[in-house]
Amino acid sequence: MTTKGGSDAPARRPEPMGGVPGLAEALAPYRMDRPKEPSRTGTPHVPPNILSCLLAVQEALRCVPPGTIPEIAHSLEATEADVAGVLSYYPDLRTGRPGRHVIRVCTGESCVANHCAKGLAALQDRLKVRVGETTPDGRFTLERVYCVGNCAVGPSLAIDEDVYGRVSDADVARLLASYQ
Amino acid sequence: MTRLYLATDTSARAVGANRLAEAWANRPGLELVRTSSRGAFFLEPLVERDSPGGRMAWSNVGPDDLPQILAGSGGTPIDRIPFLAQQTRITFANFGVTQPLSLDEYVAHGGFQGMKRAQALSPDAIIGELKTSRLRGRGGAAFPVWTKWQVARETQADRKYVVANADEGDAGTYCDRMLMEGEPFRLIEGMLICARAIGATQGYIYCRQEYPSAARTVRAAVQKAERSGLLILDDKPFHLEVFVGAGSYVCGEETALLESLEGRRGVVRAKPPYPAVSGLYGRPTIVSNVLTFATVPSILARGGDWHASMGTERSKGTIALQIGGRVQHPGLAEVPFGLTLADVLERFGGGMAPGAKLKAVQVGGPLGSLFPSSRLDITICYDAFAEAGAILGHGGIVVFDDETDMVELARHFMAFAADESCGKCTPCRIGTVRGQEILEKVQAGRGRDEDLALLADLGETMKTASLCALGGRAPYPVLTAIEHFPHEFRQGVRG
Repeated sequence: MTTKGGSDAPARRPEPMGGVPGLAEALAPYRMDRPKEPSRTGTPHVPPNILSCLLAVQEALRCVPPGTIPEIAHSLEATEADVAGVLSYYPDLRTGRPGRHVIRVCTGESCVANHCAKGLAALQDRLKVRVGETTPDGRFTLERVYCVGNCAVGPSLAIDEDVYGRVSDADVARLLASYQ
Repeated sequence: MTRLYLATDTSARAVGANRLAEAWANRPGLELVRTSSRGAFFLEPLVERDSPGGRMAWSNVGPDDLPQILAGSGGTPIDRIPFLAQQTRITFANFGVTQPLSLDEYVAHGGFQGMKRAQALSPDAIIGELKTSRLRGRGGAAFPVWTKWQVARETQADRKYVVANADEGDAGTYCDRMLMEGEPFRLIEGMLICARAIGATQGYIYCRQEYPSAARTVRAAVQKAERSGLLILDDKPFHLEVFVGAGSYVCGEETALLESLEGRRGVVRAKPPYPAVSGLYGRPTIVSNVLTFATVPSILARGGDWHASMGTERSKGTIALQIGGRVQHPGLAEVPFGLTLADVLERFGGGMAPGAKLKAVQVGGPLGSLFPSSRLDITICYDAFAEAGAILGHGGIVVFDDETDMVELARHFMAFAADESCGKCTPCRIGTVRGQEILEKVQAGRGRDEDLALLADLGETMKTASLCALGGRAPYPVLTAIEHFPHEFRQGVRG
């Protein structure tokens, strides 16, 4: 990631980013120069929330491309380093687009106790990818998650927002088939 | 019209509750009511129906079981299921009974009685009730709740905040998820009582990203409460918002949580100042666990003395134990403090899963100590665990079987801590990585005698010099694994 320009550069209008569709719309509610409604609770103005903004960008673009950092920083009146720092800190913020579906295998202790390592190995063989990789057809990204709170019916697996429990190797083929 | 009850909880859905709902949709004469879950997850999907003697239950139901349920054959009275009958349900009393987003049902089952009482009391009297109750924080640190409230109340500021820590990151725990998905108004009521006591005008619920259903349900409940005029304190609006995190475990530590809520890297702050003095945006802030807030309404409604009458000398009230791993009956058991760990596993765990033999039990999440089968006579209370160098944490109990490789498990713990370390303090940032490297050496059979000594030494440094509990507690599961299963580690050491 480049942080050219840096925090000492005087604030100026951003250069057009060569069109990242959806970025401007996602940033609009977070821009520091947006027209502000008077707060109902009379709360004084608070600084920009970089994490909320990055989550909104990710919601719109499915990831936060590093090339968008300067525009995000400018909109928030934050430094590029501040934005890049938050982006690199949180595991759920992505800099590249995932596959159409994200499979997350739970590796919390309760699933470890239920020998989830075997299931994870079988899934890697089935999809022919390692944890963190996406299948060549772009259908699945395989990830590990540290506990989905489904401990009483583990081993657990989440596909997108759907959580599955008591998952056996035999179930996996059927489950995957419903995510094209 | 036959009415059947079926849970909408994530874990019930994960084992087929929605499949039942889809299969049975639009059947004439059948009404499906989606409730919270009883927490007896080994029985899910659990279907209930009314009978003259109370609810009858059918467990592990499949779509084809409907005729049997409609005929009323083969069910068990819900209050005769030993797993449930042996509990003292207070915070979880309505679970399995009511619909999560029905404000009317919440009120009909005692909801907002605590708030009603709090509105009739002065802020000092509310804090006095908490003091009498001797409630300690349920998130892990077990700090007396009233002390924090008192400090926040006494600190002068232009605004104050109440923050619910819903970043339930400890693997093996799910009671906050159940509360948010099952009875979100209880959390909101507890936060309102706290806000009135300390004079806060704004609140946040910091929910982990891994709990999308919980976040959705709480958001809907907040909207409903607002529309019903419940988010008003002393004629002023109380602004409550749900904030979703982004997958960092250490954000469950209160100061890291506040950094994250402000939108920055979730890095731990040095304490003091404590959040009750200087928290969110430098203002007095009460950060408490979801379960702590959810415990408050009953205390106000029934009195601090009532709460203090349950439990042990210094651990009052009930604890929500979440049993998981290789037992027959994983699920949530709310019981007064004072049972032994062995009692809990026997009464509620239902023995080991078929063919499995108990090897070790971890209590208190990924930073909790391991207990071998010979040490299960420990009493479930904060003091007994502190004396043993262990923690109750957030009440998670994970049972490991004899197929578990303890060196691999120890490596898993250290790798987790290394992954999740925020990097602010050196003992944790470097210590967890070095610890992981040593364990990988032992695992590969290349360890030396001095490696295990080095690991012990490293553990002492991390325990005493880390900024927060992540670094301070990370050595415990590893060192207790070595203490109780030394032969497995010796095998990887060449001398």
